[in-house]
Amino acid sequence: MKKLKLAMLGAAVLGFTATTALADDYPQRPINMVIPYGAGGATDISARTIAEPLGNAVGKPLIMANVTGAGGATGSVAVQNAKGDGYTMLFARVGSHSVNPAMKATLPYTLDDFRFVTVYEINPVACAVRVDSGIDSMEDLVAKVNEGGVSYSSSGVGSLLHLAAVMVLKEFGVENPLEKATHIPQKGGGAAATAVLNGTAAFLCTNSSALASFVSNGQLKPILVTTAEPVAGFDAPTAADLGKPALHQLVGWTGIAGPDDLPDEVAKKWGDWMATATQDEKFRSTMEARGSIIELMNPEDANVFIQGQYNTFRKLVDELGMRIEG
Amino acid sequence: MHNRTIQIQLGVGALLASGFLLLVAIPSWVSSPSNVPNIILSPLFWPNTLAGLTGLVGLGLLLTSIRSPKPLEQAPSDVDNRAAAYVRLFAMAVIMGLTMFALPRLGMVWTSMLAFASVAFLIRTSHPVAALISAVVMPLVLYIFFAHVAGVAIPQGVFVRLS
Amino acid sequence: MSFVDSLLAGLSLVGNFESFLALAIGVAIGVIGGAIPGLSATMAVALTLPFTFTMQPITGILLLLGVYKGGIFGGSIPAILIKTPGTPASSATVLDGYPLAEKGQAGKALGMALWASCTADVISNLSLILFAGWLASFALSFGPPEFFTLILFSLTIIAGVSGESLLRGALSAMLGLLLATIGLDLVYGTNRFTFGDPNMMGGLNFIAVLIGLFAIPEILAMVWNPRSHEGTTRIIGKNWVTFSEYKKSFKSIVRGSFIGVFLGSIPGIGAAPSAFLSYSEARRTSKNKENFGKGEIEGVAAAEAGNNGVAGATLIPLLALGVPGDVITAIIIGAFMIHGLQPGPMMFVLNVDIIYGLFIGLIVSSVFLFLLGSVAIRGFKYVADIPRGVLFPAVLILCVYGVFAVNNNIFDVGVMFAMGWVGFAMLRYRIPAAPFLIAFILGPLLEDNFRQAMLMSGSSPAILFRGPITWFFWAVTAITVVAIVHTGIRATRKGLDQHKENEE
Repeated sequence: MKKLKLAMLGAAVLGFTATTALADDYPQRPINMVIPYGAGGATDISARTIAEPLGNAVGKPLIMANVTGAGGATGSVAVQNAKGDGYTMLFARVGSHSVNPAMKATLPYTLDDFRFVTVYEINPVACAVRVDSGIDSMEDLVAKVNEGGVSYSSSGVGSLLHLAAVMVLKEFGVENPLEKATHIPQKGGGAAATAVLNGTAAFLCTNSSALASFVSNGQLKPILVTTAEPVAGFDAPTAADLGKPALHQLVGWTGIAGPDDLPDEVAKKWGDWMATATQDEKFRSTMEARGSIIELMNPEDANVFIQGQYNTFRKLVDELGMRIEG
Repeated sequence: MHNRTIQIQLGVGALLASGFLLLVAIPSWVSSPSNVPNIILSPLFWPNTLAGLTGLVGLGLLLTSIRSPKPLEQAPSDVDNRAAAYVRLFAMAVIMGLTMFALPRLGMVWTSMLAFASVAFLIRTSHPVAALISAVVMPLVLYIFFAHVAGVAIPQGVFVRLS
Repeated sequence: MSFVDSLLAGLSLVGNFESFLALAIGVAIGVIGGAIPGLSATMAVALTLPFTFTMQPITGILLLLGVYKGGIFGGSIPAILIKTPGTPASSATVLDGYPLAEKGQAGKALGMALWASCTADVISNLSLILFAGWLASFALSFGPPEFFTLILFSLTIIAGVSGESLLRGALSAMLGLLLATIGLDLVYGTNRFTFGDPNMMGGLNFIAVLIGLFAIPEILAMVWNPRSHEGTTRIIGKNWVTFSEYKKSFKSIVRGSFIGVFLGSIPGIGAAPSAFLSYSEARRTSKNKENFGKGEIEGVAAAEAGNNGVAGATLIPLLALGVPGDVITAIIIGAFMIHGLQPGPMMFVLNVDIIYGLFIGLIVSSVFLFLLGSVAIRGFKYVADIPRGVLFPAVLILCVYGVFAVNNNIFDVGVMFAMGWVGFAMLRYRIPAAPFLIAFILGPLLEDNFRQAMLMSGSSPAILFRGPITWFFWAVTAITVVAIVHTGIRATRKGLDQHKENEE
């Protein structure tokens, strides 16, 4: 039984704690934070920027784990199936938690499988074309789309980019955007921007932060931002300027969610922690430099916001018959 | 095994796989929307092409095996006792299955210790003491590295957690 | 600013202790991370990224670049010693590196890997500095049709790594292509062979497949016949690679480096196909063709030159266009953005000091790679001396931890085990594993680019012949296929004649 002895010795050296799941002395141990997208992406950077001030507020380490695949579905399912004890939480994103549920009938989860504790960041969406494309405004783009032969790129079927392009065209009066314009899906957001750069696609609509470097480098030209306020560095009319307030719903966001059986006390604690963490000066300046708008929502507001966006998207998807059934 | 036997078995296997894919697997497990404008854009196009090509490779393997000469003598076996070897392979499959079962329940560290020890035993290690010591030490060292240096959330299990 | 001014501005940025320390630490982390199977260069860079948030921009980026370069070399260490590529890019190194280790020449193989890596690194860095602008504009002319033809050509590498039977190589490739179809369809988002399991929707994890295919079958073979290795205690061998061997392989190294530079400057291909292409070119032009796959030192040199040649060149699309060329540079771009730097043509105007600082840092990194790599080899080579009864279970456990860490997913460990059995069956049936791997990487790219091209043209195949680049690749593909068929027929005839002679 040498092995057992050694094992116990090893365990004693490291020190172990028994598992308890009492909510009032939560958290007792480090919390696993699942990021359902890859390192270096918008969600990852956002999550890792808040990790430091949030970890200070929580008082226990946060263990960041990227679980990627299937447009955020793999990581989301990992949290959906986890115990609702508050030790496994998810960085939810617009793609995984409002566009995907609206578009994919085959998705292994619904919004009801999660309990949102906060939404802390809003990203404006912008549409852009190549600088030498001869398209200068949404008007030009719509005219070209109606002529036919215009395509748009996205980071994949059922991504924010996919839905955004369709929604924008629809709002600007293109009757059947699915037939008038061709969707050319790419693998990932970087590839989607490249596709517009090298002429594979004519335009794309995505988070302004993903376009900022191309815009400031004079490679891409923004023709629309969906927020009411202008976005710094983007010399383009807002949806409000063009009289399309319905497009204000079309924004990216990042939030934190747990499984649906997350206790009330835990959700409340997260609300308090987030209130502290988002006050952090460094966090705010870093995020704002990347074009994000820090907007802290408590658990209730977050749910209303996400449901509202989901319903808008779902209505559009059903109207156009975009839902993926297979 | 002789080259000829291999080619025949592989050829038959590839043909069977191709048939299975074309007739059963692709129709039932690859879904395609009904409104695909063009056959070459359908999600079914590429898997069907691959299944067809697999069939062709299978045919090629069979043809070359017919043209290659018959083996003159029985190929010598590479193990003394085939039955025992198969039993060991089966045992390895069981170890892998149990490992998958135990990983989320026992946690990665304890499961790895058991897996290490049983595999070492299975391959009749010539250094049993060293193997046992490594079986305990290595998972712990890896745990410290991955969990505390690399910040990876190593599965902890429900019984004994490490800090 | 003149060239000299820019150079001085860059020098003032990197000419301090922290920058060099960051580079050295980076290379060290990379070599160690790359040497741990499953951890891989990508993981090592991803794990280092958060630490750079608080550093000066140039220091942080140099740290990440050091990790990247170290990781690509580090992957060759386990590839040679335990037949487990530490990073996907070093899969081609297994082909000749492991046989060399079996022969007791692990030290020589590792030494050659290091020399080839460093040479390729220097060539790649120089290409970046000299041709960045030109290569970047060239890379932008690669749309889906051009990619499709390039990948079609790359698939002909399979013939070069098929070993004794071309048909068995083709079968292996078909298996790889079929397994790569698992996941969500690119264009319609429908399920393909996922059986409703969310873990399958993302496709099979590449690193899990890779390790399952190379490392686990060795363990299963040991289970099948535990006594087969007795009496063949391997000695690491004092023999270090000699300068004359380096000189002999030099042509392959330079060729591999430029293959790496070319493929690296085009976003979306990555280091693994480059290593295989370089390897198969070296084999094709070598006088010792027969010895490739059985422990040919030139094979190690070519593979390592091919993958390290990519490292500097992937920065070309990154710096000149702001476009990430592979997963690793996609992470590094995150580091630029966190510091408010926006890679792209304007960076050469606005932050020219950073650009030149990076260039100087890159040149220095090759030196660090050489020094730290030599140290690492001396440390790691004793792995080959560990008795197999301890080493093999240890490799298994290492793979379990490593594969889990790639995506924090236990399912991937299951994929690795399952692929281990596939690999073992392939071993028994003498089906080569390399074609499987190449097909698994390139298959999805081929399909995706084909369908993107069809979407662009409204399903007209004429787009696949739309310009000189496509014509060029169609032509070289045709020439290669003809050559393969020709040699294939000749080899079969020769085989039959030999058999007849034996019978008579």
